[in-house]
Amino acid sequence: MRIACPFCGERENGEFTYLGDAKPKRPAMVAIDGGAGAPGEAEAFYDYVYLRDNFAGEMSEYWYHGGGCRSWLVIERNTLTHDIKSVRAAPGAGAAKAGAK
Amino acid sequence: MADFTWTTRSPLQQAVIAGRHGAAIAKAGIRLSEIRDFDLVQVFARRGQWAATAKAAKAYFGVAAPTGPKAVTGKKGVLVWSGADQFMALSPRLGTIQPVDGLRGVFEGFASLSDQSDGRCLIRLSGPRVREMLAKVNSLDLHDGVFPIGAAATTSIDHTAVNLWRDADAPDGSPVFNVLVFSSFADSLWHTLVDSAAEYGIEVETVSIAVD
Ligand SMILES: [Zn+2]
Repeated sequence: MRIACPFCGERENGEFTYLGDAKPKRPAMVAIDGGAGAPGEAEAFYDYVYLRDNFAGEMSEYWYHGGGCRSWLVIERNTLTHDIKSVRAAPGAGAAKAGAK
Repeated sequence: MADFTWTTRSPLQQAVIAGRHGAAIAKAGIRLSEIRDFDLVQVFARRGQWAATAKAAKAYFGVAAPTGPKAVTGKKGVLVWSGADQFMALSPRLGTIQPVDGLRGVFEGFASLSDQSDGRCLIRLSGPRVREMLAKVNSLDLHDGVFPIGAAATTSIDHTAVNLWRDADAPDGSPVFNVLVFSSFADSLWHTLVDSAAEYGIEVETVSIAVD
């Protein structure tokens, strides 16, 4: 499998490390963020931290180009075929992009 | 109290032994040099400040800063792309001024600077067999059509992070590749390079680029 880093170009997958599903978003944790807490929020947070779906097919994933430019990437990949549909910089990668108006 | 005399010493001092090594072939297939006495400053544009950083680099170095994996040569040094919105400025060691002090006024307010002069070693590889030798330890396609003069990459050699870029060809027409590696990995990487080059015959030298 080869991955086309948007900054470096196409590289072998040995230069990258895999983090996992890019979909889960951190839910509000009012009890930790300084509030009294809301019903069900601990469960939602547990789900966010620990529970993952085991996709057979297309998913978006975080990959890290540690053997190259050290950028975080979001890759749409088919877990059955390893076909890669898209590769883009994760939010925050590249100071100019993140700060551009 | 004892007096100490601090002598600057390359981390490759012991590893680099000038002369011929490896296979006894009339013309060495690989030339390996350690380039010493350089100033190296990492320049990171701050958030949203790449345009200003590039403009300042152009004014000072006389060449547009690389926005992709390239190395460009300006009148005051070589700018090597090292990732999104960042590059390394490599120049001969002046000795009279700290490397960051020389650039502080140039980038003040929109880029962060970090002195890497003693944090990296610079190794130059050339010779007619250099691509075959590098193919053993790095996964990049270094063919002329893919990696021309001026191409740069942040990549790994034998799992060690390096900045690699291609310089102008040697007088014998062989390609020339420069490798910046963290000082603490330099000794190990040097030995790996020597091992992979041995079968082709190696000519080793050290080169100083300090300004007299
Ligand atoms: Zn990359």
